[in-house]
Amino acid sequence: MAAVETPSSQQADRGRGASDAAHRGTTVKADGGPSRGRIVLRYALLILLALVYISPLVFMVVTSFKTRGEASAIPPSWIPNPFTTQAYETIFGAAGTPVLRWFGNSMLAALAHAALVVSTSALAAYALARMEFRGRKIVFGAIVATLFVPPVILIIPNYLIVAELGWLNTLVAVIVPTAASAFGVFFMRQFFLGIPVELEEAARLDGANQWETFVKVVLPLSKAALATLALLSFLTNWNDFLWPIYVLFSPEMQTLPAGLSTLQSANAVRYDLLMAGAVVASVPVLLLFVFLQRYLIEGVARSGLKG
Amino acid sequence: MSLTSVIAPTARRRRGRLGLVALAATTLAVSSCGGGVSAEEAAQGGEEAEFSGEYTGPDVELAYWNGFTGGDGPFMQKMVDEFNAEHDNIKVTPNTIQWGDFYQRLPAAVNAGEGPDVGAMHLDQLATNAARSVIVPVDNVAEGLGLTEDDFTKEVWDAGIYKDKRYGIPLDVHSLAMYYNKDHFEAAGITEAPTDEASFMDALEKLQAAGFEQPFWMPNLWPSHLMYLSLAWQNGAEVYAEDGSSASFDSPEAVEALEWQRSIIDQGYSPAEVAIDSQYAAFKAGETSITWDGIWQINDLKESGLNYGIAPIPTIFGEDAVWANSHNFFITKQASQDENKAQAAQVFIGWMSEHSEEWAGSGMIPARQSVRDSGVLDDAPQGVIAEQIDSMRFLPPVPGVGGVQAEALEPALSNAVLGRAEPQQAMSDAAQQATKLMEENLESFGG
Amino acid sequence: MATSTAPLAATDEVAGTPAPGHSARGLATHGKATPWLFLAPYLVLFFVFVIAPIIFGFYISLHRYDYTLPGKPFVGLDNYADLFDSASISSGIFWDSMQATGIFTVLSVPLLLVVPLLVALVMNRSFPGRNALRAVYFAPYVLGVAVVAVLWRYLLDANIGLVNYYLGLVGLPDDISWTTSVPAAWVALVGVTVWWTLGFNAVIYLAGLQDIAGELYEAARMDGANSWQQFVHVTLPGLKPVLSFVTMVTIIGSVNMFGQSYLITGGAPGRETRTAIYQIAETGLTNYQMGDAAAMSYVLTVFLMALSVIIFRLFRDKDA
Repeated sequence: MAAVETPSSQQADRGRGASDAAHRGTTVKADGGPSRGRIVLRYALLILLALVYISPLVFMVVTSFKTRGEASAIPPSWIPNPFTTQAYETIFGAAGTPVLRWFGNSMLAALAHAALVVSTSALAAYALARMEFRGRKIVFGAIVATLFVPPVILIIPNYLIVAELGWLNTLVAVIVPTAASAFGVFFMRQFFLGIPVELEEAARLDGANQWETFVKVVLPLSKAALATLALLSFLTNWNDFLWPIYVLFSPEMQTLPAGLSTLQSANAVRYDLLMAGAVVASVPVLLLFVFLQRYLIEGVARSGLKG
Repeated sequence: MSLTSVIAPTARRRRGRLGLVALAATTLAVSSCGGGVSAEEAAQGGEEAEFSGEYTGPDVELAYWNGFTGGDGPFMQKMVDEFNAEHDNIKVTPNTIQWGDFYQRLPAAVNAGEGPDVGAMHLDQLATNAARSVIVPVDNVAEGLGLTEDDFTKEVWDAGIYKDKRYGIPLDVHSLAMYYNKDHFEAAGITEAPTDEASFMDALEKLQAAGFEQPFWMPNLWPSHLMYLSLAWQNGAEVYAEDGSSASFDSPEAVEALEWQRSIIDQGYSPAEVAIDSQYAAFKAGETSITWDGIWQINDLKESGLNYGIAPIPTIFGEDAVWANSHNFFITKQASQDENKAQAAQVFIGWMSEHSEEWAGSGMIPARQSVRDSGVLDDAPQGVIAEQIDSMRFLPPVPGVGGVQAEALEPALSNAVLGRAEPQQAMSDAAQQATKLMEENLESFGG
Repeated sequence: MATSTAPLAATDEVAGTPAPGHSARGLATHGKATPWLFLAPYLVLFFVFVIAPIIFGFYISLHRYDYTLPGKPFVGLDNYADLFDSASISSGIFWDSMQATGIFTVLSVPLLLVVPLLVALVMNRSFPGRNALRAVYFAPYVLGVAVVAVLWRYLLDANIGLVNYYLGLVGLPDDISWTTSVPAAWVALVGVTVWWTLGFNAVIYLAGLQDIAGELYEAARMDGANSWQQFVHVTLPGLKPVLSFVTMVTIIGSVNMFGQSYLITGGAPGRETRTAIYQIAETGLTNYQMGDAAAMSYVLTVFLMALSVIIFRLFRDKDA
């Protein structure tokens, strides 16, 4: 079981890394080690750097609660005075920039996209991981090969395909075309290969067919991987920029990133409004990040290790 | 076009006429030409006319796209509201987006059937969109309203014709203008707005002497190309061949125009690198004394409380000329596929054209002579600019000319104004590129 | 990428050939159609939106293709020839944009390889608050390019921006036109990108660092290696698989830069910071010269693939 990649083994990996680090940490100290003063200094430096690093985000939030004038004032202030939600009221109410509607569009699109990626990738990956059939190598090879195909090559033809399908200016255009995720198949296949086959064999012996085995045995074991893939797909879609600005036309159909671009060109120097829009676009992903940090960071880390 | 198939019953048509006459009479009551319009209408009575002036079909909703995102927006909204109030069975839903996004999205949107039924676009974009069959001819509307060249300037009227068909009904004209800070002028002892090179340079010198170190910021981005075109035309250059086959940015006259722009920086009247829009921001903030910008900034300046004056841009070279453009109403292919929408769209743009005196409030100059003569400009700041309407020059109706400007001219100008390229070299490279592009355009657009 | 050795235990089948024992699994008992039914939803998407477009894109590139016009004349390889004819407008525009992409890549990749490594090395030590620190550096990455760019265009505003203000406070020039002049615009674009994506690379590095066995350091120290020597002889070799992935991903990311330049500089000054992707989108989807744009994207793709092969070789050779 130790070699199997399940959530518990991730824990083990983490534990190992941490203990290595701790080990090294103590050794450094044994080497003569930094004095208490230097440790304090190092901490202060680290904290200072972290504060500087995160300050743009703080300033974004702060500015969104300023008045129009204060947002462009020099010297810049770090505490809104007066504190106002005017910027939010303005962008929520404006006909040309229906930010709340964009929020709904983005949420719908990103959820649907994540669901589509996870379901199609998982199904395909299971066939590629567990089934023997003619053409398997070719299919897998083709999918892996497209990992190396830069997406730029798809922009123009996919635009025309989407136009032909009558999907322009609909959310389908931002949900479906990018859902054929080679990474998703690759990622899920790796995970399935790590599940001990005996569990599935037992289910088959009990009379379950391939589909039932997949749904009742494999998927429950794969929650962590599915969640990670869903999360990454959600984020990618939520943040996608190039594609939506070209395939969505009308103000009420925009996603948040595309809408932000509209907002910026419509209110070039209304930084209070722009920051409020940016905050609206950031809140869901930052919340996801705060609550699902482990899945996310480890998903990224593992995608790196396995890529 | 489905319009030709819409043969309104005679009774309806007659009532339509009467309605139009009444409408013209009331709304153009102040206009000395109001009666003239009606007379022309009447004179056409015997002819077959598809434009009925009234829409009596079932309730219909028209999507109306425009790019009036600035100070002009509220005036447009007001006109639309009034139109909606007067027409029970037509509901016009405006969608106002940035012009840049507007032109990018319009062809795709109309193709997808997700676009507008009617809209307003710039004169220099009509040919492009006509060639793309995004918009359909509006000759019937012009005829039905009795609009002729006489009521517009020849330049603006002719520029709406592509392949012998009219594609736009001009709403306004808007040109570049010179704005100046009256306080600065007073401090420098300048009593009158400069009108030619001598008085302009004299003013700059006086302003500098009075402590306004950089009185005239020279943009390298927008509206640098509008200044260039104005100056080149003043100098007698033909920037684009009338038939759309070539660009001559590099003629001696045109290069001279660019060199003049560059010289403003070389002589220290402007910072070397002016960030986008910051010449205007600086003017508004009182950091610079003169700026050339579109007359659509009038409302914004009024609101800012700056003590500013407005005058035609000075004639730096031989002849009076200034870049101008015009907002034109159009009907899309999308609307033309639905008889009711097509009919309603005609009614809408006809009504808007008749009511363009309200539009003067936006800072624009109504395109129709009859409306201008009605007195709406008497107290309007753009009145002094309107007097120069005969010197306003427009880009020729060549498909793709907008792209040519953006892809070839503007980047080259930017580099030259910034001093990163020699004007002559920059302009000949750009001209070559532009000409090639224009030749290709002629071919693909079937010019 | 697919063949890089994976440090985690469960990944011994990365190369796509299952271990021999597995091929004979009892699970092979399924109907002939079953695997295809499982594959079908994915393959439909895959063919319609990946395989077909690759072929269709090439077809487009052989035409003067404006989908709003009825005529789409076949022009053979003219679109490609134009890209390599220095007098043509598309060649000038395209290679300028390729140059912009090149400048951005060359400036950003080294920073994105080195700075996150430093951050990861710091975070690889054990100290309280380490996870919070990791979160701080990773946070900007979860924001989209639109948020990041809109935010930084504000901070980089030449007149009222925070950046110029604080530069002024410490006695540096406070009137830099970050968004409208080069090289300042490049500094801005690269800086913003480093700020935005640093956390991503750092997290991957960190995972790599944690997979280097502590014993190796132990042994190195026994041999009397100092910190630097440990870094060079233990850390770097241990990071090699991760490093190749990070390099690849970072280069591809940089070459695909679009949103930052679209929203922060708008390509200014002139077209100077308009990247290749930006230009392709502009040519194809704003000006509807789709044939030209498709040709451009094929040329860019060839470049990218060549680059991938070179990097791949580079890391493989070092392994040998």
